[in-house]
Amino acid sequence: MRLRGAVNGLRRSPVRLVVGVVLLAGVFDGVLTVTRRGVRFLDGYPGIGTIAGAVEQRSLEALFTVLMLAVAFSVLTGAIATLYGSQDLPFLLSLPVDPVRVFTLKVVETYLNSALLPALFTLPVLVGLGLEQRAPAGYYAIAIFALLALYALPVALGAVAALLLMRVAPAGRAKEVATAASVALAAGLVLGMRALRPERLQHLTPAQFEQALSRFADLHVGWLPSAWGSAAVWGALQGRVPDAALLLALVSLVVLLGVARLAAMAYRAGWFRSLDTQGRQGAVGALPPARWERPLARLGPAGGMVIKDLRLLARDPSQWSQLLVLVALAGVYFISTASLAAEMQSFRDVVGALNLVFLGFLLAGVGIRTAFPLVSLEGEGLWLLRTGPLRARNIVAAKFWGALPPMLLLGGGLGVAVAGRLGVSPVLALATPVAGVCAAVAVTGLGVGLGAAFPRLDAASPTEVPLSLGGLIYMALSLAYAVVTTLLFAYPTYRSLRAPGAFQWDSALGLTLLAAVLAVTLLWTLLPLAFGSARLARLESNVG
Amino acid sequence: MIEVDRLVKTYGRIRAVDDVTFSVPEGRVVALLGPNGAGKSTTIKAITGLLRPSSGSVRVGGFDLERAPLEAKALLGYVPDRPYLYQKLTGRELLRFLGRLRRVGDAERKAETWLAHFGLERSANELIETYSHGMRQKLTFAAALLHDPQALVIDEPMVGLDPRAAHDVRQLMRKAAEAGAAVLLTTHSMDVAEAVADSVLLLDRGRVRAMGTMAELRERVGSRDASLEAIFLQLTDEAVAEPARGRGEGEAA
Repeated sequence: MRLRGAVNGLRRSPVRLVVGVVLLAGVFDGVLTVTRRGVRFLDGYPGIGTIAGAVEQRSLEALFTVLMLAVAFSVLTGAIATLYGSQDLPFLLSLPVDPVRVFTLKVVETYLNSALLPALFTLPVLVGLGLEQRAPAGYYAIAIFALLALYALPVALGAVAALLLMRVAPAGRAKEVATAASVALAAGLVLGMRALRPERLQHLTPAQFEQALSRFADLHVGWLPSAWGSAAVWGALQGRVPDAALLLALVSLVVLLGVARLAAMAYRAGWFRSLDTQGRQGAVGALPPARWERPLARLGPAGGMVIKDLRLLARDPSQWSQLLVLVALAGVYFISTASLAAEMQSFRDVVGALNLVFLGFLLAGVGIRTAFPLVSLEGEGLWLLRTGPLRARNIVAAKFWGALPPMLLLGGGLGVAVAGRLGVSPVLALATPVAGVCAAVAVTGLGVGLGAAFPRLDAASPTEVPLSLGGLIYMALSLAYAVVTTLLFAYPTYRSLRAPGAFQWDSALGLTLLAAVLAVTLLWTLLPLAFGSARLARLESNVG
Repeated sequence: MIEVDRLVKTYGRIRAVDDVTFSVPEGRVVALLGPNGAGKSTTIKAITGLLRPSSGSVRVGGFDLERAPLEAKALLGYVPDRPYLYQKLTGRELLRFLGRLRRVGDAERKAETWLAHFGLERSANELIETYSHGMRQKLTFAAALLHDPQALVIDEPMVGLDPRAAHDVRQLMRKAAEAGAAVLLTTHSMDVAEAVADSVLLLDRGRVRAMGTMAELRERVGSRDASLEAIFLQLTDEAVAEPARGRGEGEAA
């Protein structure tokens, strides 16, 4: 039934199908190429001798571990929504079907929702490995089987954690708690990986690098499921069906079926307190508007919309959790860029010039999570705005002004901080914050405008909203903006590198270039906003 | 107050609303009736500006919805059939937000009055996600009435309401009309339409089948004491029979 629904959905929007297939093929090809080159590099590394295979196996284990953790983090909220909160559950349970079968289906659905993308990402790695190692035909079947069985384990773990959470979380708050926990863990993982400081590898001598590889090859933790997975893959590379593959399959099957049985029992026994929708008892009586609302309220309907959006942001973990991840990413970006500080001014300026592009890319990534979903987040409540005395452009403008301050803070703040930390020359010291501020304005306009032009009012969470044609156009245009503005800043940077002090921003050329950056920024901001307003005004949807 | 003139709404080759003309004067309640798929909700959405007519026009208080949408919408209050509201706002915060959106003077006092009217004052500081369907429906009514609309458009008003609230809503619609508002409602409940409406508009497959007061409709079906349900069934049966008869005559010819 679910499959039929998905097929019908794709039939109705073939463009989405084509774009999805093209994207997937691109990612597959990219990962395959990188894997093959990596394996070739390791196999051909001078003096690596017999440990090449062990290094590759440990690398695969590391990849499995990271992706298993990613699945485990993401599965928690998905399991709550699919296993216990899905709307078709009461209908399915009312059918003359064994509830264990219904929950087995739900566990499979949870598995597909959480593990399919990581599995698709891992697939080209295994294929690349097989091609480089000239694996027998049976390898591919066993490797894919091991891969699918491996990701079943974090899914089962997440489903059990969800079950416990449904018991202990405050009534109606299980999803919020799960989202907060997942995001905190994911942000921790990102920062933890950054804390390993992989750039240190750059400073190793060949002898030290060999020693590090050797230690890495010895780093075998056999009891971890990721080690079972890599052992299964390596056995298959050698043309046999390894015990690890059978063990993995057996354990995965048992835990998945066990979780389905457990969920069915718990659901029917009414074990979940958190399924209740009983809310917190609020204070009784008229409460005046909060102090922070009052200045915004003076701005009229736009201020009212910003107040409403801020309240919804603060109360919806699926929204504020995005910000947490983005703050972690911004922190990682700053630390990474700062670690590149060097003695020579020219090198610092080169890094500073590259930073102009990367800052644009970073803000584009932030914008797609923050500005782009803003109109879609109105969801089915959009009717309240559309039946009110507001034009579509008022709605879009309010969203833009609401999203701009944090983006400006991020763009301008990172621009100033990175330029200061790198110690770039005066030309770049001005260009970097200007680029940050302009990029913040442009990606906010682009995000809000294209988000209004291609809204997904039925999206279950903000993360789903950018998965659309509009999201793709946004990414392409925001990256194009970063490239165009970097090209405009290229000449002053070049002059500054060739002859420090030769270029001044207050010269005719400098002012012209700044005006050009401003013009490009306005173009990238206003055109999408106008386009989004026009499309939103014409929107006819069953939702909203 | 509400004037719909030759309204047509097509979706591809399907004409959901086909040349519909009617008006709802000040101080009157008009019930828009029809079987499922008759075009009632499409008509309502065109009147509230959620859908753009393929042709024809809608005017509210003399303002054309296409040419002067802000002026027209400022006069409208709308209660949809599915009262989706922002789940993470409290009832009071929602009314405050709508007060700001519509620039309602003295919105705080009006919000408290309507919250009390619908018995929501004790739950007004709780998140809407914790409300029952009936409470959401009542809050939607409060939201629609906050700005003293001159035209009230209500899609399926009784869904999810308990008997007390349903009674109150009937009274409210009558009172709104007595205060001079034009009230247009769609309903599947013949009892509600008969009890509240001054006149009835029957839509079927996008076209107006009948329009008039109860007396006029009874006269049309030739029965002085026919209930609205009987009139509805007879007229919609006629509508079904007509094309079939047409086909039969065509085949005989």
